[in-house]
Amino acid sequence: MWQWQTQPLTWSTFLAMLIGTVVILLLALGVVTYGILAERKVLGWMQGRIGPNRVGPFGLLQTVADVLKLFIKEDVVPAAADRPLFLLAPVLAFVPAFMALAVIPFSMQHIFTAGIGTGLLYYLALSALTIHGVMLGGWASNNKYSLIGGMRSAAQMLSYEVPLGLSLVGVALLAGSLNLNDVVRAQQHLGLWFIIPQFLGFCVFIVAATAELNRTPFDLPEAESELVAGYHTEYSGFRWAFFMLTEYVYLFAMAGLTATLFLGGWSGPWLPGWLWFALKAAAFFFFQFWLRNTMPRIRADQLMTLCWKVLLPLGLVNLVLTAVLKAVLLKG
Amino acid sequence: MSPLWSAQMIAFFLISLFILACAVMMLSFRKVVYMALAVGGVFIGCAALYILLGAEFVGIAQVVVYAGAITILILFAIMLTNHEATEPEEPWTVRKALAAVGCFLLGVTLLFVIRGQAWPQGDPSVDVNQGMSNTLAIGEALFKSYMIPFELVSLLLTVALVGAVILAQQRKGDQ
Repeated sequence: MWQWQTQPLTWSTFLAMLIGTVVILLLALGVVTYGILAERKVLGWMQGRIGPNRVGPFGLLQTVADVLKLFIKEDVVPAAADRPLFLLAPVLAFVPAFMALAVIPFSMQHIFTAGIGTGLLYYLALSALTIHGVMLGGWASNNKYSLIGGMRSAAQMLSYEVPLGLSLVGVALLAGSLNLNDVVRAQQHLGLWFIIPQFLGFCVFIVAATAELNRTPFDLPEAESELVAGYHTEYSGFRWAFFMLTEYVYLFAMAGLTATLFLGGWSGPWLPGWLWFALKAAAFFFFQFWLRNTMPRIRADQLMTLCWKVLLPLGLVNLVLTAVLKAVLLKG
Repeated sequence: MSPLWSAQMIAFFLISLFILACAVMMLSFRKVVYMALAVGGVFIGCAALYILLGAEFVGIAQVVVYAGAITILILFAIMLTNHEATEPEEPWTVRKALAAVGCFLLGVTLLFVIRGQAWPQGDPSVDVNQGMSNTLAIGEALFKSYMIPFELVSLLLTVALVGAVILAQQRKGDQ
């Protein structure tokens, strides 16, 4: 029943898939809830503050209280907004974000993972779909800041998807497969995490991934000081929560992708696979929080130059180097 | 479970219904942004059909290129040009009614021709991918059997890209 990757579709495998989806949804919600708390705690620690510590023991229920507040808030739709699209946009943004989690191999047994042969491409395709939600949300709000934020976000995410894809090609070339399970197995077989032979690719990937996630130093789409939060200025209550959820689910998915592609996924000695995976994903989370606290925001006119004139050539160089490496060193 | 109502068959009908609904909405909406979104729905439905047929690579590529890039390009174009772009309501005329009847008759004729044709049946026991994964099979075909056409197509696309940039630049210089 649980090995649906290798079995034909029947009612029992369908039921297992459904249960798997619900478990992953709960997992994602849990990770997001405590990811936000961890972010605030780490930010506080780095700035010499304590961080949230009032709700629950050590402030552990802070995010739960915040989410509860968001859910009971009034759902305000501006009078001049395009109502159907305004209501639909957060859903359009969230659904692909959650679907992207389907290909992340969380553990060695591949529980709750769709072993599709085009996993890497699937991830890229779905993260492109989220842009619709962000852009339409900005447009439907009928607010100049939202529109600018939505356009910026779309331009940024679309542009940075190109170097992101290029850096993934290097990994795919080394692993010989687009299937994320096979990528992990290839690293196990090689006895080396891909961060070492693919270091240049990893650098391109991590910059592009940060830009893709709209996080500091690439948080131009929601630059508080100039755009008043960008595309979600007009959103409040649980629709705003959905946009935030989308961002943090993508952070989770990107952490999973980084761990899988460059850090060996669930492979590692002594500890069980899922714990290794969690540790590696947590390292990515911490790196993002650290970055947020240390880097100032990049200027809007430097953004596209960095993408097209620095990251893209570097990604191409990495691709050629990888191809040569594969042809010369790893023959056969 | 009879072969007619297998999971694939149900999925096919649901996806087809989704595609047709999106296509009809695309035609009946008056706001251009809504139309762009409906077209995006059609693209995603087609991708789902490809995946259902076992062509996952083509399906995902369809999402990347059409639902991702092209729909966003359309949205960009709409947002940069006219914020409240709506099409005016058009009244029914005799000519349009005749065109609708003609379309219906054409559809019926096509349906009969397609149904009357004896289509070659593939042998389901033969694996067209020769045991390779879908992506690998496409790569092998593109880079071994169809190497030169593939390179020519990439050349053509590059030329088109450069040509588009040059054309756009010239127009800017004229103003």
